[in-house]
Amino acid sequence: MVELELTVNEKTYKLEIEPDERLIDVLRRRLGFTGTKEGCGEGECGACTVILDGRTVNSCLVLGVQAHGRKIITIEGVGDRRRPHPVQRAFVEEGAVQCGYCTPGMVLSAKALLDKNSDPSPQEIGVAMSGNLCRCTGYDKILRAVQRAAREVSGK
Amino acid sequence: MTSVIGSRAVREDAWGKVFGQAKYPADVNLPGQIYGVVLRSPHPHARIRRLDVRKARELTGVAAVLTASDVPHNSHGVLFRDQPVLVSERIRMVGDPLVAVAAESPETAREAARLVEIEYELLPALFNPEEAMRPGAPALHPEVHGESNVLYHLPVVKGDLAKGWASADVVVEQDYSTQMVDHAFLQPEAVLAQVDERGHLVVQAATQYPHYDRGEIAHALGIKVSRVQVKTLSVGGSFGGREDISLQLVAALLAYRTLRPVKMENSREESFYSHCKRHPMTMHYKTGATREGKLVAMEARIVGDAGAYASWSPNILRKAAIHATGPYEIPNLRVDSYAVFTNNPWTGAMRGFGAAQPVLAYESQMELLAKKLKISPVEIRLRNMFRTGSTTATGQALTGSVGLEECLQKVAPFLWKEGDRE
Amino acid sequence: MKKRGTGLSCTWYGTGYGNGFPDVSSAFVEIHDDGTATVLTGAVDVGQGSSTVFAQIMAEELGLNPEDILVCSGDTDVTPDSGTTAATRQTYNTGNAVLKAVRQAKLRLQEFAARKFSCPSPEGIEFKEGMIGVRGDPSRSMPLSELVWEARLLHGERFISAASFTAQTTPVSLENGQGAPYWPYAFGCQAAEVEVDTETGTVRVLKIVAAHDLGRAVNLTQAEGQIAGGVAQGVGYALLEEVELTEGRIKNPAFAKYLIPTALDVPEIESMIVEEPEDTGPYGAKGLGEPAMLPTVAAIINAIDAAVGVRITALPATPEKILAALAEKERGGSGD
Repeated sequence: MVELELTVNEKTYKLEIEPDERLIDVLRRRLGFTGTKEGCGEGECGACTVILDGRTVNSCLVLGVQAHGRKIITIEGVGDRRRPHPVQRAFVEEGAVQCGYCTPGMVLSAKALLDKNSDPSPQEIGVAMSGNLCRCTGYDKILRAVQRAAREVSGK
Repeated sequence: MTSVIGSRAVREDAWGKVFGQAKYPADVNLPGQIYGVVLRSPHPHARIRRLDVRKARELTGVAAVLTASDVPHNSHGVLFRDQPVLVSERIRMVGDPLVAVAAESPETAREAARLVEIEYELLPALFNPEEAMRPGAPALHPEVHGESNVLYHLPVVKGDLAKGWASADVVVEQDYSTQMVDHAFLQPEAVLAQVDERGHLVVQAATQYPHYDRGEIAHALGIKVSRVQVKTLSVGGSFGGREDISLQLVAALLAYRTLRPVKMENSREESFYSHCKRHPMTMHYKTGATREGKLVAMEARIVGDAGAYASWSPNILRKAAIHATGPYEIPNLRVDSYAVFTNNPWTGAMRGFGAAQPVLAYESQMELLAKKLKISPVEIRLRNMFRTGSTTATGQALTGSVGLEECLQKVAPFLWKEGDRE
Repeated sequence: MKKRGTGLSCTWYGTGYGNGFPDVSSAFVEIHDDGTATVLTGAVDVGQGSSTVFAQIMAEELGLNPEDILVCSGDTDVTPDSGTTAATRQTYNTGNAVLKAVRQAKLRLQEFAARKFSCPSPEGIEFKEGMIGVRGDPSRSMPLSELVWEARLLHGERFISAASFTAQTTPVSLENGQGAPYWPYAFGCQAAEVEVDTETGTVRVLKIVAAHDLGRAVNLTQAEGQIAGGVAQGVGYALLEEVELTEGRIKNPAFAKYLIPTALDVPEIESMIVEEPEDTGPYGAKGLGEPAMLPTVAAIINAIDAAVGVRITALPATPEKILAALAEKERGGSGD
């Protein structure tokens, strides 16, 4: 076992984990952040996306120890029913949610994009979201939702 | 107030999903839970000569190692119950479940599964439906389905084919084939099963049909339906791939035997092996039309690979036959549709359910006929398409809503006409 | 060189279990003291939106908002069996069961209200924006919540109901396939515009125009969502996806090797809803789930032919197959 200290959604946790334990397992099993989903275990589907020091990563490909001393945002740290993030509101209002399994990863990828670039082109949105697979929606309403959120964030 | 019907009402679970609060089966846990895994066959067709689970049982942290003899009624299946919960003797496909293990951690359960010793007698396997349907091919399901591997055959016959071909000015004939595909829903199968304070077996799962699952669990374990609760949590897509029962049966069995909550989660690779696939089909089509572009005759032979178990195959190949003409009136026809057992992964329900594969064939045939007749793709369809009052290949009169022509009229302007290019 | 073309495809789809198999859905309804309501069905919402559809049906009948309806589904301890979420059957079948059930409870409410407001017939009672009263006479109406409360406390009346709906089909003959195996049928038509790279054999789907006759769209957003999702699965089926087998073993049981469409693979999608109402459906609805993906494959295959003059007859239309077909055409082989 090794010691791990990391910040998740602005709260610091100290715990012991296995040296080969994946970040997704630390988040889901040890800390209970089950909004982070596992879809493929090989970094292809993006369901396990979290934001690590401002950048999206597939938490199934990151070791827990690699997050030592770093800041993580999971879906649980992005808005709530009283104060939804613009991306979350846009996903609901555009009808971008169907089965919902890809949704947390999608929301985090969109948030990370808009945090850096509040006025992305449709092409930039497509590229930013292309690491997150969805099998239900055909992406149509997801891409529209990100555009809508971008308009709100940029005030255009 | 405007009507609620036809509105853009927001789906009731959308907020819970954007906040990551929606609970899928992998997201729920119970104190004291153990973790189940399934050991699956690496061989497509084999007999189990010897199965020794002693080393697996002796591993520290193992709560149960179960084999076929531990299943009271070892069968399930949507139509025939021809699929074992755990194989007792004859393996029919790669991925057939052989042994169920539960342990204090998923890692220990997987380690125990590796300690199971199995000796196989490998049997010649059938991978090609055409070969499997030949007389003399070894029967894959003699006990349930008899000596032939042809699980289902439906002929659809209408009119007078000889007259039809005689009146055809143009004929196109072509082979088509579609591939095996996976549902690839994003959420791999997962389940949490427990015997609760009432003594009832409670199974939390993502399924398309909890009442069916309840019946299969009650049957396999030999307990009453009123003692089994299947509770559906959020379902991460299904598309037909969650119709046959999956991990629910094994988890229920492990929980019932150990009296501890049992959690099971498929990896993506395990998911590929633990649900059905879309039927690959080969389709031979011959279609004839008059100079005016009226369809007058069609013959089609459709063969679907059912894989190792029946699942919904008869219904799917029936649906393929019924829909084989496409949405067009053809007065003279014969369609023969077959579902055939092989030792490939089993095939079953997937969005479109047998009506998806023939589209490639019948809509290609329409295009080829239009070319030969030098009429537009829109025109040939308008001359033959179903309208209210049309009769289908099975003699069914379409008395109600048939909105196809309006669909075509809406789409047609988008198609390029001669000379639109460059 | 990159060449473009368009292609067309029309399809049909018989919904429901079909073939005379008893296709039954059930629903339980309870109207609460505060004028909200609960509906229980076994129907599972797998993401397609059936629970929202049931909330809308309840709300429409009772003059409420969908948010006022609790939809409880898919729990065998509490909900009745509503059949499987498959066969494009939940809006039609369970939708009909919900409609039938809520109308039973509603009729008893109407009878109670007719007595209270001295209205000659229950049909004269309407539900509107949370109010219940005599049609066309706002002076004789009251909040639904007050009426339900009053009915229970002063008269011991309860507004609960249960109903089942069974779709009607007949089995086909095993001799000649004749029969009426499905009802109702949904229809669809899609056009695809593709760009084929003749050097690499890759196909890019630029646009899909999709028109689908679903009888009646209960929820427009969800109907569009079904169409776009169906188109994406059709694109995967036409161009990308294949479970590859060697001796019955899956060679590619992973998303790294089993490719499904990403946000960059799906085209612009223009969906058009055609509403040819079906008499037996709830508000005329038939269904859309499976039909949405049916036409895409052939529209793409026909568009590839229009673009580069080769006919792909074996799915998926991979770059290798397209290059081989183009080479065959060069050699003067039979194009089709």
